[in-house]
Amino acid sequence: MADLIQLLTNGLALGSVYALAAIGFVIVYSATGVVNFAAGQFVMLGTFAGVATLVNAGWPLPVGYAGALALMALFGLLFYAVVYLPLSKSPVVTIIIGTVAIGITLQNAALLTFGSWPFRLVSPVEGMMLEVAGAVIPLHAVAVVVATALLIGLLWLLLNRTALGIAMRAVAQDARTARLMGLRVNALLAFTWVLAALLAGIAGLMLGPMWFADVNMGDPIALKAFAATIIGGFGSLPGAIAGGLFVGLAEVLGASYVSSAYKDLIAFGAMILFLLVRPQGVFGERIQDRG
Amino acid sequence: MVVRTRRTMLAAAAAVLLAGGAARAAEEPITVGATVPTTGPLSLTGKLYFNTLTMAAEDINKAGGIKGRPVRLAIEDAGASNSTAVSAFVKLVQETKPPFAFLTSYSTQNLAVAPEVAKAAIPVMYAGGADAVAENGNSWMFRIRPTDSLAARAMVRFMTTQLKATKPGILYIQNDFGQGGAGVAARRLEEAGIKVVASEAYGQNDKDFSAQLLRLRSAGADVVLVFCYPADGALLLRQAKALGLKMPVVASSAAFVPAAMQLLSPADLDNVWGVVDAFVDPGAGGRMKDFADRYKAKFGTDADAYGLAYYDGAMLMAEGMRQVGTEPKALRDWLAGVKGWEGIGHAYTFDGKGNGVGDVAVVKAKPGTKALEAVTSVKLD
Repeated sequence: MADLIQLLTNGLALGSVYALAAIGFVIVYSATGVVNFAAGQFVMLGTFAGVATLVNAGWPLPVGYAGALALMALFGLLFYAVVYLPLSKSPVVTIIIGTVAIGITLQNAALLTFGSWPFRLVSPVEGMMLEVAGAVIPLHAVAVVVATALLIGLLWLLLNRTALGIAMRAVAQDARTARLMGLRVNALLAFTWVLAALLAGIAGLMLGPMWFADVNMGDPIALKAFAATIIGGFGSLPGAIAGGLFVGLAEVLGASYVSSAYKDLIAFGAMILFLLVRPQGVFGERIQDRG
Repeated sequence: MVVRTRRTMLAAAAAVLLAGGAARAAEEPITVGATVPTTGPLSLTGKLYFNTLTMAAEDINKAGGIKGRPVRLAIEDAGASNSTAVSAFVKLVQETKPPFAFLTSYSTQNLAVAPEVAKAAIPVMYAGGADAVAENGNSWMFRIRPTDSLAARAMVRFMTTQLKATKPGILYIQNDFGQGGAGVAARRLEEAGIKVVASEAYGQNDKDFSAQLLRLRSAGADVVLVFCYPADGALLLRQAKALGLKMPVVASSAAFVPAAMQLLSPADLDNVWGVVDAFVDPGAGGRMKDFADRYKAKFGTDADAYGLAYYDGAMLMAEGMRQVGTEPKALRDWLAGVKGWEGIGHAYTFDGKGNGVGDVAVVKAKPGTKALEAVTSVKLD
């Protein structure tokens, strides 16, 4: 029982991070129709923004976190202005390939800037453990799950209860009509990219103490977040959350109760199954619904 | 008389030109190739021997080069895939035609590049540990690190004779290195009549090892043999402590390189032993201290066994070139005959398969610190 509690907590913490990365995918996809293949590198940059402020600059935790998130917001804005905007009139596939290229560039830029050695990012609750029914659970893992739940709640409020969020959804549904209605579509799209970068930044800052900050950490996150998005359904926030948690739990529980050698088969097998049987995922919209 | 003078002058001019040409030839650099992962996930280890190869070339040149000719390194990025490693080697051979080259420390890349080495017909040194690399009968390839099976056998011997463990578990990275090492360890244990209570794998990109570690604990393992790379090795040692695992851990060399050690706290290393290629201990004095001190002064980090292997390899290559020149076949034949050449990390003797190292060291952190100390050395045939 103790082992199960421990595994469930670790799986949920891992799944929470995948869910945040998947939400980043979904927000950008919903608003722009672009699958951002640099999403994993966004998370990696979030972790390294924390390395820059907390480790290299040695700022205190609250200032360091705020600084890292400010850097990520700036990055989101730059990404919109330098990558998305110049390509926005191009076919979607061109933009998607652009995100792949930028992802590779970001990874190698991080390698040149920070070097190949991993960094250790300290958690605000470093070393603190909870004992639940004999299971020793790092407090950081619990904090990750709680923080993700809070963020998702805030995101729901933003998208459903604020004028800004409703405007964002309007742009996501039909940018042309939204423009005719007087909405500042470019500013809203820019905010979408900033929001995606911020979510990735938070995911990266939470991941840093769980993993090490490593310039190559983006690819595995992107793969798992992509699987989560497919399973949950492209374009669906609840889908991204459910998909992320499923992938995280499948990874940890699969390794424990099925086989550590084949654990990734469960998540990716499920992804392939969904692509074959229910391509819109659990919560995803059918293609004709968009039209 | 005029004719004779003219002939004399022409001969003199030709002699001057030839002498100049010969002098230029004598000073012409010897290009030595090296494929090193300088980008991607393998660059963590690649950087270690990028540094020591550069340092070795400088040292060789400071000592007068190869009979007056300086050594010039031509380094190509081997990246993180076999295809990149093959392309890098082919490019090196086509563009610089080196008489000798270094390959990476990754067995899968070594295996992929091996056919190109045979085609190029130049001797190479490599540091991938998989036994399979040396099994294909490629007489141009010389290994400058212990084989994975040697390290695995040493782990088993240490575990049974020193730790007296009887219920081992194995945790390994899922690639040629990890699967090979785990396989050898399992076979050796079986031969010794010891049952492996659990054998767990993880992927190269995995970051959460809780499931594997908990399975090893619930299987009742009284020791865990770990075959890992640097960053994942450090991460799983940390997670093992966070999960409250108490049994001893015997980990492979990569977990003890400086890049991994800087991620660990002294508590993470409690009850952890390392079976390392060589123990880079400045306290040993002599050439080891000189190497370690100069490396730290030059690159700002501690030296490690991977880098040392390539430094020794470069010095051995230089010795061979001084002895027999740069003709590839002569150099290969000379290397094949090397017996007991005293490097800094090992005494190198190449066997019929090109394996040059026959010993490993067991290390452990001093209590409450991260400073490693030698426990024992294991030499196997």
